[in-house]
Amino acid sequence: MRFATLILANLRRRPMRSALTVSGVAVAVMAVVALVGIARSFENTLLAIYQSRGVDLVVVRAGGVQRLGSVLDEKLADRVRQLPGVARVSPALAEVVSFEKLDLFGVLVRGLPLDSFILDDVAVVAGRRLAPGDKRAVMLGTVIAKNLGAGVGQTIEVVPGKPCEVVGLFQSHNLFEDGSIIMPLDELQDLMDRKGEVTALMVIADDKTKAGLDALGAQIASLAPQTEVLRTRDYIETAIEVRLARAVAWLTSTIALMVGTIGMINTMLTAVFERTRELAILRAIGWRKWRVMKLILWESIVLGLGGAVAGTLLAIVITQALSRLPQAGRLVSGEISWGVILQGFLIATLVGLMGGLFPALRAARLVPTEGLRHE
Amino acid sequence: MNSPAGDGVFLRAEGVSKLYRDGRVEALVDVSLQVARGEYLAVMGPSGSGKSTLLNILGALDRPTRGEVYFQGQALGAMKSLDRYRAEKLGFVFQSFHLLPTLTAIQNVQVPMFEIRLSARQRAQRAAELLEWVGMGHRSGHVPAELSVGERQRVAIARALANRPSLLLADEPTGNLDTKTAAGIFDLFERLHAEQGMTIILVTHDPNLAARAQRIVRMQDGRMVREA
Repeated sequence: MRFATLILANLRRRPMRSALTVSGVAVAVMAVVALVGIARSFENTLLAIYQSRGVDLVVVRAGGVQRLGSVLDEKLADRVRQLPGVARVSPALAEVVSFEKLDLFGVLVRGLPLDSFILDDVAVVAGRRLAPGDKRAVMLGTVIAKNLGAGVGQTIEVVPGKPCEVVGLFQSHNLFEDGSIIMPLDELQDLMDRKGEVTALMVIADDKTKAGLDALGAQIASLAPQTEVLRTRDYIETAIEVRLARAVAWLTSTIALMVGTIGMINTMLTAVFERTRELAILRAIGWRKWRVMKLILWESIVLGLGGAVAGTLLAIVITQALSRLPQAGRLVSGEISWGVILQGFLIATLVGLMGGLFPALRAARLVPTEGLRHE
Repeated sequence: MNSPAGDGVFLRAEGVSKLYRDGRVEALVDVSLQVARGEYLAVMGPSGSGKSTLLNILGALDRPTRGEVYFQGQALGAMKSLDRYRAEKLGFVFQSFHLLPTLTAIQNVQVPMFEIRLSARQRAQRAAELLEWVGMGHRSGHVPAELSVGERQRVAIARALANRPSLLLADEPTGNLDTKTAAGIFDLFERLHAEQGMTIILVTHDPNLAARAQRIVRMQDGRMVREA
């Protein structure tokens, strides 16, 4: 007989309790894996929009926490373009709109100059590209087109009462982008009453070394007051949306860890009390305290790991289901990274260890004769 | 494990007292006892006479309030690990068998073996031999609930022998058994004593069974009243 046999035999004798404890941990792990996974994939998708185009620096209004609330003068783009070491610059105006009748909230609309390098990577799958002279015209990403149920030639109301014609559908292989709407920059400015304003400038530099980018960044920042130049990754990571998503994910993990641990302590303490006599016998026949502790700890760790397996599977099912919902599908890719799964297992192991520790100490402290009297 | 160190006595209790509740209850009063290697000793007395307390103290399950127990000349209080003493030197047999309910007979016999260095295969092999020896080889795959009380006690004896102890302590081992089954258990003790020279200390209140031991010690009100 192996030690593991003993552990499993003990867990099997109360199948209902073991199953319920595993379920408790599973729900906690599921919440962690799903939420952290969604937060990470949101962040990565966002980052990919910039990185796939080789954007090195993003210029925004200094001091703003909400990236979309940043306001810059459109003319700054031309001044940046003239700096040595700048390969390409594209201004962009970002707005978030909602289509309440369709239950679609927070849809990104980007206004871009027609020569923007951002548009280079956008493949038209139906209709045509935006062209000079287009008025009240939009291109829809394939995902948002599907959600809106709109096709080429139809009109949508980006702003209520101001219909825009869909001239083309595009695909960029980025979930976030495919869920967005693109308009000519001047048209969006007009529609939103933000003449001459852009949200950010995206800059591709010639010299991509850290020193090169730092120098260029300083130069750009000196062009206008209240201007902040960020590396692409920093731009994403410091965005309030990403920070919020991360904070929520961490908070959930912490709560999951606490709730899971309390549930585990409850289960294992009950088990120790129930088996007082049995554990006392083990001590009486020569088991060291440490071995009795090990038995209880392993039982709770195995329960925790069982919860991790079940919870990870649940999380995969849930994110897959979410990614198929029109409301969430624009943000959730349904992919869960190994790192996130590892985090789930780590939390489950911690739940097992922390939840089992107090009951195990309790079991180790049993005095053999006291336990033997307990019949 | 021959020639004991120290004074040459295998097991010795010296002036052992056990007090409970701040000394108001005297479970054991100034008990001294010497047991030779290979001796078969019965401790008799009515309930509450302190015989189980004495056995627990000899078996290092409990510590005396006063006095000391010496195993092969070594004071138990000076031992680094009493767990190790129990695991390697002692075998316990209890009145209520105390087998683990979820484990089969052969698994139960292996439980103490986790404290000594044996591979899983060696553990299983030794357990099978022991079950064979107590006449339970054919029942090795059964859990305690499927065994008769006599069979359970045989398995418990096999478990007590798992780590090849040199001292067997039995607390009313036949207390829950009928006369005929009890006789079978005593046959086992006698064989252990005769064939292997096992030192046995047996607590019982059955005079017929005690009579089969080499020596009887009587307890009353926590004191040793007579050594017959």
